[in-house]
Amino acid sequence: MRKYLIFSAVAAAMLALSSATFGQDTTRPGAVPDISGVWLVENFQPRLFPNGGAPFTPWAEMKFKATDPQTNDPNLACLPMGVPRFMIAAPYPMEILQMPTRVIIIHEGPQMMRQIYMNRQHPKDLDPTYSGDAIGKWEGDTLVVDTIGFNDKTWLDGGGLPHSEKMHVVERIRRTDHDTLVDTFTIDDPMAYTKPITAQQVYKLKPGWEIQEYVCEENNKYTYQGK
Amino acid sequence: MRTRLVIFPVTAVLLLLSFAGATYAHHGFVSWFDMTRSTTVKGTVTSFDWTNPHAYIYFDVKDEKGAIVKWSAELGALAMLARAGWKRDTLKPGDEITAIGNPAKDGKPIMHLDKIVFANGQELSSAL
Repeated sequence: MRKYLIFSAVAAAMLALSSATFGQDTTRPGAVPDISGVWLVENFQPRLFPNGGAPFTPWAEMKFKATDPQTNDPNLACLPMGVPRFMIAAPYPMEILQMPTRVIIIHEGPQMMRQIYMNRQHPKDLDPTYSGDAIGKWEGDTLVVDTIGFNDKTWLDGGGLPHSEKMHVVERIRRTDHDTLVDTFTIDDPMAYTKPITAQQVYKLKPGWEIQEYVCEENNKYTYQGK
Repeated sequence: MRTRLVIFPVTAVLLLLSFAGATYAHHGFVSWFDMTRSTTVKGTVTSFDWTNPHAYIYFDVKDEKGAIVKWSAELGALAMLARAGWKRDTLKPGDEITAIGNPAKDGKPIMHLDKIVFANGQELSSAL
């Protein structure tokens, strides 16, 4: 429990008690819950382990010791936060768009677009990318997203948690009430962590908000000393 | 040095551990600014950068000997500021403001802005 990024007792209770879906008639054959809209993290906490205690392998611990949020956070160079960081540790809104074959997440802060393919498996021999390759399926009222194919150029959070290209992220995304979306993450990377990391992020619906332009390179005064 | 420059006393404020309601900035302000302290500085705006990834207010502050000290205040991203009520013309050169925010850890005349108070007493927070 302590390893959760955000643990909200209220959200957990709603998870357990509510099976309602919102804004869409799911009694129709093929109908799925509506999770579309603009969402913002309920509480912004840049670190997954604010009190330390990440289950590093020796390889990851060595990498972690070389990280410094003041000098080599890739974000200082306006490089993408990637998945899962922009989903769990970015204080900007995201818009979810639903299509029959894809769920698309447009994130305002890092100007990332994440495509979750609903009608295919992972391609073989993926080229590593910042956001990886995401596929999804509905399990009842929960969108289960499976993502692999990451590069190792991102941090898991703002605190410098490293990962390898072997990272595998599974998310369970559920709208627990009209205004609340909960994403539960399982981050499995045997090269970097001795056991899977679990985290949860709660998002709140922001009616009337529109995703705005955000050009990080415009007036970025921070200096990146990474490689 | 910082203590000499500020007009009002620097007040130690223990902030809530949660970042709910805090000004949002993407560049890890926690590592640059002392988020447990608040400083209050009164000055005259010289320029206002309405830019991403962060907006900046530049202002002149007179120290106790009357010398001008060049201060700057760092804000968040434009879209979030706009949602909090800021506009590109919220400030213009010559405006008298009181800036309240978290001081830089290294003692430079830079702050992470929490809010400004205009000459007429009106306040504008940089957080939602």
